[in-house]
Amino acid sequence: MSRVGLLWLAVPLVGLAELGAHQWLAGRAPSVAEWEALRGEVAALRKEDELVVVAPAWAEPLARHAFGDAMMPLPQVARADTTPFAYAIEVSALGARAPETLGWRVLDEHRSGRFRLRRLENPAPAGVTFDFTAAFSPDRVRVVDAAGQDTCSWNPAAPPVAGGLHGHVAFPAARFVCPGGMFFFVGVTVSEDERYRPHRCVWAHPPEGSPRRIRYRDVPLGERVQGHTGLSWFLMRDGAGTPITLTVRVDGDSLGTVVHRDQEGWRHFALATGRHAGTRAEVEFEIASERAVARHFCFHADSR
Amino acid sequence: MPTPADPAVLPVDKEPAVASTEGALAPPATGDRLHALDLALAAALVVGYVGCLLATVEELGYARDEGFYFHAAASYEQWIDLLLQAPGRAMTRAAVDRHWAVNHEHPALMKTLFAMSHRTFFDRWGWFAEAGTAYRFPGMVASALAVGLVFVWGRLAVGRRAGLVAALLFALMPRVFYHAHLACFDLPAVALALASSFALWRSLEHPSLGGGLATGLVYGLYLDTKHNAWLFPAIVLAMTALVAFDWFRSPVRPRRPPTPWGLVAILTVSPAVLYVGWPWLWFDTWARVIEWGRFHLQHDYYNMEFLGVTYWKPPMPRLYAWLMTVATVPGITLLLAVLGLGAGIRRELGERWRWLAERLPRGALAGGPIAGRTTVALWLMSILVVYAPWWSTNTPIFGGTKHWMTAYPFLCLFAGAGFEVVARQLDAALASLPVRAWVRSALPLGAGSAVIAAPLAMTSGAHPWGLSSYTPLVGGAVGAATIGLNRTFWGYSTGAVQDDVNVLAPPEARVYLHDTAQPSFAMMRRDGRLRPDLRDTLDIARSEIALYHHEPHMSRVEHQIWVIYGTASPAVVGTHDGVPIVWVYARPE
Repeated sequence: MSRVGLLWLAVPLVGLAELGAHQWLAGRAPSVAEWEALRGEVAALRKEDELVVVAPAWAEPLARHAFGDAMMPLPQVARADTTPFAYAIEVSALGARAPETLGWRVLDEHRSGRFRLRRLENPAPAGVTFDFTAAFSPDRVRVVDAAGQDTCSWNPAAPPVAGGLHGHVAFPAARFVCPGGMFFFVGVTVSEDERYRPHRCVWAHPPEGSPRRIRYRDVPLGERVQGHTGLSWFLMRDGAGTPITLTVRVDGDSLGTVVHRDQEGWRHFALATGRHAGTRAEVEFEIASERAVARHFCFHADSR
Repeated sequence: MPTPADPAVLPVDKEPAVASTEGALAPPATGDRLHALDLALAAALVVGYVGCLLATVEELGYARDEGFYFHAAASYEQWIDLLLQAPGRAMTRAAVDRHWAVNHEHPALMKTLFAMSHRTFFDRWGWFAEAGTAYRFPGMVASALAVGLVFVWGRLAVGRRAGLVAALLFALMPRVFYHAHLACFDLPAVALALASSFALWRSLEHPSLGGGLATGLVYGLYLDTKHNAWLFPAIVLAMTALVAFDWFRSPVRPRRPPTPWGLVAILTVSPAVLYVGWPWLWFDTWARVIEWGRFHLQHDYYNMEFLGVTYWKPPMPRLYAWLMTVATVPGITLLLAVLGLGAGIRRELGERWRWLAERLPRGALAGGPIAGRTTVALWLMSILVVYAPWWSTNTPIFGGTKHWMTAYPFLCLFAGAGFEVVARQLDAALASLPVRAWVRSALPLGAGSAVIAAPLAMTSGAHPWGLSSYTPLVGGAVGAATIGLNRTFWGYSTGAVQDDVNVLAPPEARVYLHDTAQPSFAMMRRDGRLRPDLRDTLDIARSEIALYHHEPHMSRVEHQIWVIYGTASPAVVGTHDGVPIVWVYARPE
């Protein structure tokens, strides 16, 4: 045996190296208290309703806890995407970047403790003229049947219902209550996409035998009506249901029909408004499916 | 080198000192005797481990399955009371079915022990302040006995320091430490898998009817613990075949191969033990055995995140078990196990397939310090058979690491052997250098401390977040969250936020439990961990406080809380190493 045998010392040294690595990794991420201490600084940085994004994504609950609904309101947390936002505050820990805002221009960047705060500008924000989810209210919306009759009544204080893990998404207290049972309502809720991310959207389970029509009056229209269609992914990912069609009409003119199938996730659509661009008009969303069984359909749309 | 049929038998305390010039180490034979010091060390490990578990149990919330087992154990307790009061009535089918039908998808041994522990140590003697701890106590004892047995086997097959290192490495696996607290079957199954293999090993090394019967008895208890036991006959068959192979190849051999008493016993004694120990099988036996088998062979697929993808149906990822092992078992344990396995295999090859051994580069791995004709093969087989189901893409992955934990004691035994290799090589290296004697004598302790330090730090740092712990190889908890490994499951982390719930909840508040089972929540209330006025509910809309345990597919539950409560801002976030694991919502007034 020679000095070469001392190379076996490498094994206990690996143990010590692992100890060092563990200690370093365990203390690497900011604590809850550090997140809470960041609140004032983020509040000072954020103007009006600018979006707050968090990197890495798994830290977002800490930001929601620390910054509260005022800085991270539900409509922004459960956004369809980031395209309408002109500015965003990125709160970054561990050197991570938010993929959604990677191409945005950095207006300001500074370090605060173990965070890096960036004020970002969207190089091409979508000029949204109308958000159908945000504007959903009985003042603006009618829910009618195929004959144009108001078959659903607005209830601002219906019993809210949540299905839990294996059940349906939450049914909000304020909703249009329609005949056929609990599932046949129209209202704003949050549904999950194929990566289990949240999206605020208008729930519209199609009724049996006839389509559901949701009419918005006096909508300022841009060049297109676009958005996303989806089904609650957890419940529908096995793909057993019939396709759902979403037809968009402006003042009775059809802009087109989108077909949504179970395993398509949170699916984007865009329909040109054509001659209606720049006008104010009635917009109708017609939802139908051959069989109205477990069609937990939800859509978000805007005009831009 | 002894032939397979004629192994050299040296007392363990006369292990050959190290050292041939080729770097190979002669193996000691299996030691038949444990010295008083060994027994004292084994006892210290057992008592010490139970002490550690008891000292840390109050911080650990009750896992989902524990709630179901509390419920079953309570039912068994009633039957035991009936048995003591009116034995005739207790043995009727109506009474047996009424009390033993609950949770009959799992055998009865541990739940019976949970029941007896609760009735004795809590109700009668008041040893424990919490009923839940009394239910958990048999699991802790079984876990500690596993630690002690790892030491004993390591001591007998390799040596004292190897046994000690193996036992500590096993005790200090973060996920083993977590499961060791629970009123569940996973660590008891590990303990009885180990005990079954140990009994088999003794019966193979020293064939006798008594050894075979012991194997059958212990395996019967294993069968009565958890269905992991169904894999053990494959190990027995393989080892019986190996012994027959050695007999066949031996130049000088008896007329008949050794009687496979172990095999005979697991086919006869073990089913009888299972039958006696599980009253549910006393009536409609075959139908119920088939139902038991069908339940587990056709088990539902639950959701499990792996590398950012949530799997809920086949095909499951083949890499899952292997990568999760690397991600959750301390790296130094794995490295030592590889060294020990390499040394063991080299010895196996040398004894059985010499022509192959001669083709290995000399000194590639130090020769085998593992004694016994069947030891290496049995340890290796006990690992491979346990991992084998995960070669199939149809095997569910929902249980995380607990489903193959029965392999971990053998991994640690190899690690102990690996440590022995390292210690001997270092000792030999120092022997040729001008170093002081105390340096040589202190080296094993220093090296041992170095290899134990990281597992100790990881395990203590992981409590009470055992199922959220990950090793530095994947970047710890932060790295695991980033690459998308399961954050938590079983709803036990409610225990980590119990004080916050007590503070946040208004009087008579209803708490939405999410993934925590109702009997688990009830036990936390009964134990005084949660306020007695709090009520549980599985209806978010009727709750004032809502718990959320994060898994990607469960995020829809959090979304429901947002809509019902009108806030996306949790009042409390429980974190492990800065990574959110469980959060609490309070309904705004």
